Amino acid sequence: MQFEWTAEQDAFRHKIRDFLHANLPDDWEKFSEHGPASPALTAFAREFCVKLAEAGILFPHWPVEMGGEGLGPWEQQILSEEMWIAGEPRGGQYMNVNWIGPTLEKYGSAEQKARYLEPITRGESLWCQGFSEPDAGSDLASLRTRATLTDGNYVINGQKIWTSYAGLADTCFLLTRTSDDRKKGITIILVPMDTPGITVRQIPSLIGEGDIHEVFFDDVTVPETARFGAEGQAWEIVAYSLRNERLGIPRFTLARAALDRGVAMLQGQGRFTREHVRIEAARCAALCEAAGTANYAVVQKRVDGLAIGAESSSARYATVMAERAVCEFVVEFLPEALAGASPYLKMHHQRGIVAGVAAGAAEIQLNIIASDVLELPREPR
Amino acid sequence: MDLSLNEDQRQVLDFIDSLARPFAGVPLHDVSLALESADLDAQLLENGFLDVMAVEELGPVTAALVVEKLARLPFAVEAAASSFVRPLIDAELPRPLCLVEEGRVTGPVRFLRPGATIVVVGPSGVRSFTADDSMIAPAQEDTLYAYPVAFLTALPDRMATHEADPAQVLRAWRVAIAAEMAGLLGAALAATVTYVSERKQFGRPLATFQAMRHRLAEDQVMTNSVYWLALRAAGTGDPGDAALALLHAQDAAKRVCYDYHQFLGGMGMTLEHPLHLWTYRLKLLTAELGGRGEQGLAAATALWG
Ligand SMILES: Cc1cc2nc3c(=O)[nH]c(=O)nc-3n(C[C@H](O)[C@H](O)[C@H](O)COP(=O)(O)OP(=O)(O)OC[C@H]3O[C@@H](n4cnc5c(N)ncnc54)[C@H](O)[C@@H]3O)c2cc1C
Repeated sequence: MQFEWTAEQDAFRHKIRDFLHANLPDDWEKFSEHGPASPALTAFAREFCVKLAEAGILFPHWPVEMGGEGLGPWEQQILSEEMWIAGEPRGGQYMNVNWIGPTLEKYGSAEQKARYLEPITRGESLWCQGFSEPDAGSDLASLRTRATLTDGNYVINGQKIWTSYAGLADTCFLLTRTSDDRKKGITIILVPMDTPGITVRQIPSLIGEGDIHEVFFDDVTVPETARFGAEGQAWEIVAYSLRNERLGIPRFTLARAALDRGVAMLQGQGRFTREHVRIEAARCAALCEAAGTANYAVVQKRVDGLAIGAESSSARYATVMAERAVCEFVVEFLPEALAGASPYLKMHHQRGIVAGVAAGAAEIQLNIIASDVLELPREPR
Repeated sequence: MDLSLNEDQRQVLDFIDSLARPFAGVPLHDVSLALESADLDAQLLENGFLDVMAVEELGPVTAALVVEKLARLPFAVEAAASSFVRPLIDAELPRPLCLVEEGRVTGPVRFLRPGATIVVVGPSGVRSFTADDSMIAPAQEDTLYAYPVAFLTALPDRMATHEADPAQVLRAWRVAIAAEMAGLLGAALAATVTYVSERKQFGRPLATFQAMRHRLAEDQVMTNSVYWLALRAAGTGDPGDAALALLHAQDAAKRVCYDYHQFLGGMGMTLEHPLHLWTYRLKLLTAELGGRGEQGLAAATALWG
């Protein structure tokens, strides 16, 4: 066991940091108050990702056959960490390189690969993920957006909600219902967002302008070739995608960075002296580091080529605990941070508070831990 | 970064598993508040399991794995201080080793008995002496803790002085206790999970009720984190990591000890079920080195000055 990074991994991290230093504008911190899905950040990311592609650090973790450098899961982790601490200047394109690209490679038709992979590798495309619906959140398999095959076209009707990036995305990775079989009746369709019949409405939110949306589909018609995989294959494909994206965003790194920033602000004003404040800060640090090591234990399984199971839910819940503690620390001891005194801490807060909801509620992670880590007998249904 | 067990570590752990198998269960009809075994202790010593830290291919992470593993047994073993602190001051010190803080010697001392080595750690240095009857007051009969404990009535006028850096000893002490707590937390969780999976009420296992599942799942998250933080602190040798690991362990213990006894209902109050053999070690360890607040302050100083 080795808890330090290798010299190569350190060098890789520094390469990314140097790149960020050279390519983020001076007012970046203020700017990144715009959420990762905001129009401002999306526009910025379109230029930034092109530069990342040119520098060879957009998808270095992809296999060589896909044009990557074949670096391992640790490098993907380092890349994600550095980007997220910096406020995710890739915007929604982080999804492209983490799971959309690899999923296209595995399940896409030749036509889909030709059409979609190239723009991803140039840093020029933005996707959105149309999964959740007003009546299908945690219970995703109850989704109802219908796709009906007629005369070689799918006609889509229904509504999605909470869709990040929808306002500016080029393509939607859309889950639709093609039959009434609960899980086997779900089918993926890749829908260009400029197809007639699609209406996108922003949802005003605590987490920044333009972040989450409602998307309405009224007789949206796409050719049958837009279907991704077979009819009814969505559940299997999404499970594969999630394996690539199981841990999701390395939120614990930003939580720790925000904590350090908060402590530095308190120290600057002579306010980091009272014992209870110091103890609470240490508790937050312990939770951040705990989440970090729990996440790394999962990455290690990927490195070792082992299947990743429910332990990723445990790591994710550890992250939720860390995010919650740091958000609460800042509010309690630096309340001015959310009222303009620290764009960075406000940015952290807005990203931190979604940790227990986005990409699957915290309680769902607990259910998974109970059933699959602790192997408790299942709840009756 | 490499969080897999290496071949050496796997072998050591397998070896301990087979050696400890006869001690994995509580002797039938035993209703002791604390269990010890001279036989187990002797076997561990004989096979060098308490000396792995000094072995180059093994080192502190393996020592932490050993301490964690042994803590899972229902028997209390003085492994933590011997594994982590003894090599730093004098590998020949007679066991058991009892660590006490200078100026804070009035609490119950684990494994204190005539012949034990008492190590006094304080800002002024690291000193030790061999305990004898004249300076030991036995704990009152039936102490609730699942460790053998006694009290020091006096410190001798003369003690052996050691070269070791007290800050390093303190760091190793924190790592050692964090590793021990990781094992205790793991074993207590496993015992509780088994019980609530088998015990039925309202026609179904208790473990099918979400109120219980969620708390147990959170306990699993904490337990897993304590394990990793303890190993990491052992691996990095960083004083901040050590303080964070023990802080997190003490935080976790506070939370789970209550939950687990609660989940066993009346059975959780008995000596028939062995749960207390882990939780009442954890409870005493929440007081180690001044408790959570002290670890928090130490961590804050190490991290931010
Ligand atoms: C910032 C953000 C971005 C998002 N981006 C996207 C996106 O791009 N695409 C997309 O498809 N979706 C997205 N989502 C949606 C997200 O996946 C859902 O919000 C999430 O799955 C929870 O669904 P819900 O909001 O309907 O909550 P509900 O399912 O209504 O649940 C509400 C709460 O009830 C509790 N709960 C639910 N089920 C259980 C249970 N079985 N046991 C115990 N408690 C339970 C949990 O506390 C949960 O938080 C995003 C969400 C957020 C916050």
